[in-house]
Amino acid sequence: MNWTRSKIIWIAAAIIVVNGFFPAVWILLTSFKTETELLQVPITYLPQAATLDNYIAAFTAQPILRFMWNSVVVAGLSTALCVLVSALAAYALTRLKLPHRNLIMSLLLAVAMFPLISLMVPLFKLMRELGLLNTYLALILPYTVLSMPICTLVMASFFQDIPSDLEAAAMIDGCSRVGALFKIVVPLSAPGVFTAAILAFVNAWDEFLLALTMMNRVNMRTLSVGITLYQGEFAFPWPLISAALIVAIVPICILIAVFQERVVGGLTAGGVKG
Amino acid sequence: MTETSIVKHKDLSERTLGILLLLPAALLLLVIVVYPIATLFWNSLHSADPNNPQAEELFVGLDNYTRAFVDDRFWNSTLKTVLYVVVTVPGALLVGLGLALLANQPFRVKWPVRLGLLLPWALPLVFAGLIFRWFFEYKTGVVNDWLAALGMEPPQWLSDPTLAFWAICIAITWKASSFMALMLLAGLQTIPRSLYEAAEVDGATSWQQFVEITLPMLRPAIFVALIFRTITAVQTFDIPYAMTGGGPGDATETLAMYINKMTLDFLDFGYGSALAALMFLISMVATSGYLRYTRRSAARSGE
Amino acid sequence: MKLYKLTLAALLLLAFPLSASAQTTLRIFTGGQQRPDVMRKIADEYQKKNPNVKVEVEVGGATSEAQQQYLSTVLSSKDSVLDVILIDVIRPAQWAAQGWAEPLDSYLGADKAKIMAQYLKAYADADQVNGKLIALPYFADSQFLYYRKDLLEKYKRPVPKTWDEMMDTAKAIMDGEKNSNLQGFSTAGAPIEGTVCTYLVPLWGAGGELTREGKLNLDAPQAREPFQLYGRMKQSGVLPKNIAEIPTDRIRIDMQAGNLVFGMTWSYVWNRLENDADSKVKGKIGVTTLPHDPGGKSATCIGGWQLAVSAFSKNKAETVKFARWLSSPEVSKMQAILASHMPVFPSVYKDPEVLKANPWFSEALLVVEGAKSRPVTAQYPQVSDVIRSNMNAYLAGTKTTDVALGDMKSRLTPLFR
Repeated sequence: MNWTRSKIIWIAAAIIVVNGFFPAVWILLTSFKTETELLQVPITYLPQAATLDNYIAAFTAQPILRFMWNSVVVAGLSTALCVLVSALAAYALTRLKLPHRNLIMSLLLAVAMFPLISLMVPLFKLMRELGLLNTYLALILPYTVLSMPICTLVMASFFQDIPSDLEAAAMIDGCSRVGALFKIVVPLSAPGVFTAAILAFVNAWDEFLLALTMMNRVNMRTLSVGITLYQGEFAFPWPLISAALIVAIVPICILIAVFQERVVGGLTAGGVKG
Repeated sequence: MTETSIVKHKDLSERTLGILLLLPAALLLLVIVVYPIATLFWNSLHSADPNNPQAEELFVGLDNYTRAFVDDRFWNSTLKTVLYVVVTVPGALLVGLGLALLANQPFRVKWPVRLGLLLPWALPLVFAGLIFRWFFEYKTGVVNDWLAALGMEPPQWLSDPTLAFWAICIAITWKASSFMALMLLAGLQTIPRSLYEAAEVDGATSWQQFVEITLPMLRPAIFVALIFRTITAVQTFDIPYAMTGGGPGDATETLAMYINKMTLDFLDFGYGSALAALMFLISMVATSGYLRYTRRSAARSGE
Repeated sequence: MKLYKLTLAALLLLAFPLSASAQTTLRIFTGGQQRPDVMRKIADEYQKKNPNVKVEVEVGGATSEAQQQYLSTVLSSKDSVLDVILIDVIRPAQWAAQGWAEPLDSYLGADKAKIMAQYLKAYADADQVNGKLIALPYFADSQFLYYRKDLLEKYKRPVPKTWDEMMDTAKAIMDGEKNSNLQGFSTAGAPIEGTVCTYLVPLWGAGGELTREGKLNLDAPQAREPFQLYGRMKQSGVLPKNIAEIPTDRIRIDMQAGNLVFGMTWSYVWNRLENDADSKVKGKIGVTTLPHDPGGKSATCIGGWQLAVSAFSKNKAETVKFARWLSSPEVSKMQAILASHMPVFPSVYKDPEVLKANPWFSEALLVVEGAKSRPVTAQYPQVSDVIRSNMNAYLAGTKTTDVALGDMKSRLTPLFR
């Protein structure tokens, strides 16, 4: 019994890791190869003569650390703002008696249904009128709104399941309603809040079109746009771009891994299971 | 019926509080999207003269919409989009559910598995598309390398309409299942262990536990995930754009790709906006089923 | 709390736009692939000569598409942030129609004819739309036939003049070399802009035209020629099997790896083949005019980049002055030496310093002088889309000649009324 259990766990881990890591590992291997090696038929898997040149080039050809800082600021702040605003909205929509709840929910959803591409020109005009072009707010505000529907829905689906007695108990202990939201509801929904945060963060981290349009100064570019600057009109230098991609992915992974183990692990352990 | 009387007589303040809590979201929406969306509808009723695009745009009523109805390319790209939705939404759900169940096993160290789930999601869409194009490349792609190793004739994945469609579906499913798994894993983590322990005492098999406990408890998470996967699938753009550019011919072109072309390439903002409004309708239709479900369940719980 | 402080600091630091200065600041937009570093050097030179002007180089997305996405948004909003913009040679007509480019005729005044006569004719033509000067040429480009000198010598074959000669030669070399990786001929086949030229070059080489006097001319027998040519090449195995997946740079990659006898591609390839450390074909490459039909004349697509003055610029006089300097023989020469960009003035090709840096420019001039424009119309993006997607479908084998040509005709007809 014990043996099969651990075997299942190992197989499970292997499937997830291979499925998730394969393209990333492919990129990692490519980042140590030369362009010549990529031309070979049949293809090679492990680098034949590993080189760090691509990483050196990735750091010298473009200000990638600056791109990363921009991405961290934009994604971080928009995530924080989005989670906060969405948590309040989700709470109002699930735990308070409000008229037209479903209408509000549907309106929120409808926002997600418009392709960003066709909102581009008016959004650009708007940001120009507000004088926000080339500032972080030009991305933080739209990213917050873009992720708001999903964050609200995710959190709402978690808030719904929290027994109202817990909240009532807290309020009897002298907690305000908003206090109960942050002391009881949010911690108990930690996996949901965490998921919402990841979704918002990655949405912002990946976004390309807005980032390309709102930030036209090189030192305000975010990573997703910055990486495309390594390519030429025709040429697509995979080894160099792979190195840049690895540089771009690693921090987000570390961030999430640490966050997951320390913060959420702690919260869930203390919350639901306790 | 568990609502206490304290709450009941606070009804008015509860409503005020609710409005206050919704205010930040409403304000942001108002500033950031209401104006662009209104512009979109306004544009969709106007058209510029292609021979004199600088002149004032003319009000053309619903002409842009009727134009879509006789536009083969609109229908073709819509059909392709629907096919991507039909294949990749259930595909991503199944794969994502599988991954989430696997990831919910009690690993001692959680982060490698968590990362494995996250990596596809963390890889920017455009690059995911480019990487998969490379995987499906005729000569230097891994897929054909494996097929050749198995002694099969390597096909030209991206220049055959059917194969290209499936290659794109695989890439989308791979990318989207990560999102699904994340959402579902969060749902799985809130299911109290005690439910399973009780079921085990009752002698339920793991399949029975899955059907009787896991699925019903996961339902809200599944629905939220499905709604968003569907909305994103209707907007499928980056992956086919990077993998085939819509080719061969325009066999793999999606509605979003057509809108993109119409708006930023052809600069026909009027027709492009009408197509975007139609896409919005398609999203509405595609998600209305889920919404009806949530409304019903909300009504039930509100009783 | 740390995060909060960091956030606040970051917001304060970056919410400030660049501070205004007493000088005139001009912003020039260039794509990432048009050597922004060289543009910076050239701009520095200009600043030295004009101390009252400060030039900022804005680098847009790397590909022509990414740039267009950005420019469409900014210019549709009539934004004044950009003064000079580098645009693709296919764009002046669209820019003229949209009113994005300031017509330059009045700035040139009576000298216009004299000034324009100094440029390569193809560019002087491409930048004037309905008699109005929309942009000034910055650097030239065109497609060439790249070939393996060593292999032609080994098999004692002359440099081919016609398509059939080229096919025979390619076939003979492929058969002789017995290297399964060696391909005879390659050109762009994916649904991208370059594939428009894949159709147009053999059409022109057969004496055909896409339009004649502004009317679509695809009923002419030559309109079938490109399809039939590639059909024959595909059948004989000269063309790669996956030709419909081939983007522009794949031709360079295959050539560089020694896997290609002939390739039809742009000028940037030459430097990579000769200078890249990993090139297997250094000193083995020749460049010549593209093949044609026995009765026809060799032709090629022009490429290259033009300087447009934004119609929304707030400093038009200073901007035009800067643009005119950028479009001068002096800068053309700097570009040729620093970036191997092909000059837009025939005279510069003969400059000894330029030739020392780019010995092959002596042959290139001949090719560029025979280069033709892709159709000049405000709706070029639509035209391009029809041609490339049908050519691509034909190369992929999903459409026959009749279907592809028929679709091309029916979709192009409304665009050329």
